[in-house]
Amino acid sequence: MMRAAAAIAGLFALFAVPFWVIPAYDAEAAGFWQHIFVTIFVFAAMACAWNILGGFAGQLSLGQTIFYGIGGYAAALMNQHFGLIPWIGMFAGAAVSVVVAVLIAWPCLRLRGPFFTLSTIAFLEVIRLLAIHFKDWTGGSAGLPVPMFVGTELRIGWSWMLFREKENYLVIAFGLLVLALIASWLVRRSRLGFSLVAVREREDAARAVGINTTAVKLSAFAISAGLTSLVGSFHGIYLNFIDPETMFSLPTAIQVAMFALIGGLGTVSGPIWGTLLVVPIAEAARGWLGAGANGLHGLVYGVVLVAVVLTMPHGLVGSIGPWLRRRFGAARAVDPTRIAAPVTGDAIARPPIGPVILEAQGLTRRFGGLIATNDVSLTLREGEVLGVIGPNGAGKTTLFNLLSGFLPPSAGTLRVMMPDGSWVTPSAPHAFAAAGVARTFQIVQPFAGLSVLENVMLGAFHQTRSATEARRIAEEVATRCGLGALLLAEARSLTVGGAKRLEVARALAMGPRILLLDEVMAGLNPADVTAAVELVKAVRDSGVAVIAIEHVMAAIMAISDRIIVINSGRMIAEGTPDEIARNPAVIEAYLGEDYVHVAA
Amino acid sequence: MLRLEGLRAGYGPVTVLQDVSLEVNAGEVVTIVGGNGAGKTTTLRAICGLIKPQGGRITVDGRDTSRLAPPEIVDLGITMIPEGRQLFPFMTVRENLMLGGFKPAARARIPERLEEVLTLFPRVRERMTQLAGSLSGGEQQMVAIARGMMANPRLLMFDEPSLGLAPLIVKQVFQIIDTVVASGTTVLIVEQNIVHTLQIATRGYVLENGRVAMSGPGPELLRDPHVKRAYLGV
Amino acid sequence: MDILIQLIANGVLLGGVFALISIGLTLIFGIVRVVNFAHGELLMVGLYATWLLSAKLGIHPYLAAVPLAIAFFFLGALMQRAIIQPLMNADPHIQIFATVGIGTALANGALMIFSADLRSVDVPWARQATDLFGLASVSRGNLVAFAVSGIATTGLILFLRRTHLGRAIRAVAQNRYAAPLMGIDVNRIYAITFGIGAGCVGLAAAVLAPLYPAFPTVGSFFVLTAFVVVVLGGMGSLEGAVIGALIIGLVESLAGYYVAPDLKEVVYFLIFLGILIVRPAGLFGVRGAE
Repeated sequence: MMRAAAAIAGLFALFAVPFWVIPAYDAEAAGFWQHIFVTIFVFAAMACAWNILGGFAGQLSLGQTIFYGIGGYAAALMNQHFGLIPWIGMFAGAAVSVVVAVLIAWPCLRLRGPFFTLSTIAFLEVIRLLAIHFKDWTGGSAGLPVPMFVGTELRIGWSWMLFREKENYLVIAFGLLVLALIASWLVRRSRLGFSLVAVREREDAARAVGINTTAVKLSAFAISAGLTSLVGSFHGIYLNFIDPETMFSLPTAIQVAMFALIGGLGTVSGPIWGTLLVVPIAEAARGWLGAGANGLHGLVYGVVLVAVVLTMPHGLVGSIGPWLRRRFGAARAVDPTRIAAPVTGDAIARPPIGPVILEAQGLTRRFGGLIATNDVSLTLREGEVLGVIGPNGAGKTTLFNLLSGFLPPSAGTLRVMMPDGSWVTPSAPHAFAAAGVARTFQIVQPFAGLSVLENVMLGAFHQTRSATEARRIAEEVATRCGLGALLLAEARSLTVGGAKRLEVARALAMGPRILLLDEVMAGLNPADVTAAVELVKAVRDSGVAVIAIEHVMAAIMAISDRIIVINSGRMIAEGTPDEIARNPAVIEAYLGEDYVHVAA
Repeated sequence: MLRLEGLRAGYGPVTVLQDVSLEVNAGEVVTIVGGNGAGKTTTLRAICGLIKPQGGRITVDGRDTSRLAPPEIVDLGITMIPEGRQLFPFMTVRENLMLGGFKPAARARIPERLEEVLTLFPRVRERMTQLAGSLSGGEQQMVAIARGMMANPRLLMFDEPSLGLAPLIVKQVFQIIDTVVASGTTVLIVEQNIVHTLQIATRGYVLENGRVAMSGPGPELLRDPHVKRAYLGV
Repeated sequence: MDILIQLIANGVLLGGVFALISIGLTLIFGIVRVVNFAHGELLMVGLYATWLLSAKLGIHPYLAAVPLAIAFFFLGALMQRAIIQPLMNADPHIQIFATVGIGTALANGALMIFSADLRSVDVPWARQATDLFGLASVSRGNLVAFAVSGIATTGLILFLRRTHLGRAIRAVAQNRYAAPLMGIDVNRIYAITFGIGAGCVGLAAAVLAPLYPAFPTVGSFFVLTAFVVVVLGGMGSLEGAVIGALIIGLVESLAGYYVAPDLKEVVYFLIFLGILIVRPAGLFGVRGAE
């Protein structure tokens, strides 16, 4: 509540200064300052919109002015050709932008890192050049004026978005900023927002918790484009003139992104802080050096950007926020080593082992000439624990990737039984998740920048859309896994034991029927191993079927009903733990072919 | 020659090695065995300077090397043959071997050294102009060892030399290691395949959860039931 | 027929110019794994430097080529050490922002100092046309740029293949983990590589100065083309960059005539997007095969 009140007060002040305070103080300079504030609001709104894609989803687009331009042209062209008021053009432009965004994003989002960025720049260039080329339509590089007079009709006032007084522009610009801010805040708190952050932090883990990564990135792209387009429509009219150079401008796209970064990528308020810091610095510098100093803005932006990237890569909010919390002790002193024993509850009777719910036939996976998984067939029954062992490099993790959709098999079939008794063959990780399969990773993949609670919530969002409900499930599951005292700790601060436990908790929060555990006990101390064994047993007793890869032999022997042994991609043995421990082929696989003779 | 005292090391906030002390004397063949995640590879990486110790000391001939960078360790005559061969796949075998002799002390006499090494590995000579990435696993392992020998090291460290190789090839690899030992190079081997290693080792250390669980002459460790338990948990 | 030969000649020569700018970019990406978004602005600085040397000190641009290349080597190495090295393990988006920031600062710094006016180095000899076997007519400056580009590219490829340092540079690209085990100082290799990439730009600036004027945004004009070339040839592949440059040179020349002069860039940007999406490793790139 306090924070919400502070945010509203801050925003009000931001509006009040140019609207009332400055005119009262110095009516002469008011026009100049109001222009600066309109600019700040416009850029802050675009930075907020950009941040939904670039910050939350981590997709660094430098082509967002495509939508700024589409918005600008839509309003101006519909005005010019059909005499429509800009408000209609504004929303039509936003609709077009959303469609264009989806068309552009579809291919671009397959690319990563700098390649994605380059592709967005290329699209921006293509659209700019096309806008210049089709001059009958767009006016070409000569640009289009936004006329106040058409014939003798004076098109001015609220419906035409044109005013003599700057105050009204201030109102609209501020309204757009508030709109972008609210959209960004709503996204951040929703399942979509959590999913975006998950995709940014670790795409593989995001897929494992059932997020359709393409769909969420596409949504972010579309929302960001729509908002940017609204701002573009207004700004084009405000500037009274549009041309391809200013509307589809790469430098502007870069500026917007850098404001968000300077303020703090992925934070709701960061883009505003970034804009508020940098635009006035540039204006002040221009004041000192005289208005003739062309390029000074850009120089300041570039230098500040490099300085921020080198000294505080999390931006103003991302760096100062945590510092303030530490300094003024909003006590979040969590000892990341305080993992409790799992709460296994009253010993419920173990349910009987049921019918087969997962069946793999002849699974094979080749990488070039290497056969990592070679003709493996296995079944898993309801309520059963199946152990998978084998020496290093035997292909166990590849098998898991096949069983969870992270790799398509080169040959063989795989099917999962749904609760209603029908069989499905999922193809992608999110489809496996939908079929009730959850997995952990051998190399722990926490969403490092998120809290333990948020990590587990991302699993819980697989069951529910509601953030409140997800939080409740997450708290319950995390407590059950012994992470109750660590809910607010940052995931990256956990010990190995804690991180492994978090992997399990996140998967469990998805409410799976089949749980794939990849070496959740490796690297744990003996006490942690004992606790983990209890946890797996409790999971089993709650009716979840488990497939566990494990190297800690004592543990795998203790939890498994059946064990399969993989060596060089092939299944070399299958049986109860006792049978496996006595199997000569197994001993040979682990200790070398001569061990049996030497030790005998 | 090499001595680890109470070494503690890991990655970021994670500590893998809790307390490892061991020594390698000139002319010895020492092996470190232990299950997955016991810290064998981490030990070698710490010796090479690839990760900085969180505590304890690493000394070479009495000189503390804990803070040295990998190239400086190589200059001291310590070379590691990494797990999974780690050749330069798009370079020829010859180029790979030449890179093995990159350190300034070795660079001057690459041609002579190349002859010496190829005499030890006649099979590699036949492959000199092929791209390293096109070789079979066993051939790659030979090139990796030959590349390590190019630096003319005093101490050669092997990280899981038999990993991912067919049994027949594993035998050949150990024959090659025998050759290396016979040429007078001190050797430190990390292996899962404990039979071969413990048979040729003058001394062995068993690592468990980042600590030395036991140590002794190789063949003796092989007969110890504790070793089997460390691997199979039975 | 005649016009076609003329267009091809223009395209090939233009490709030579693009190659010289692109090899530095592709080398830096291939070895250091950082996309240098400030590459074009380095070229812009080089063009201004050549103009200053020529207009103020009367030094012929071609004489300035080697000193400029050496100066740019140190400039590039310094840029890597001061700004890129601390970010080597940072997220890719932080690295992108860093080089974008450098580029923005340089371009606008130039705008402040030199204003937006075009600054041309006047070398009448380079502007004169020369006859190519009676088939086409091209400017001498273009021929010089093409020749320098050929020599520099060949030299660079030989350097990477035949010398200890060159092998070490390739080793770092192919296996970052194994390279230090050979005694290679990886961070030093990064600085040297950045230096070489920037040095190519310095060389390019000197031979291009008689052909292209300097202005603050000249960098983005060239760098976007260089990105297209590098992606087409396969990021990190020098030979790919040369072939990619020739293709883009030809596309620009032919599309400018047969499609529309102002749409030639659209054509190659569409090729670029197509390649990125269908075959991100580029036409000739094998992943990691630099």
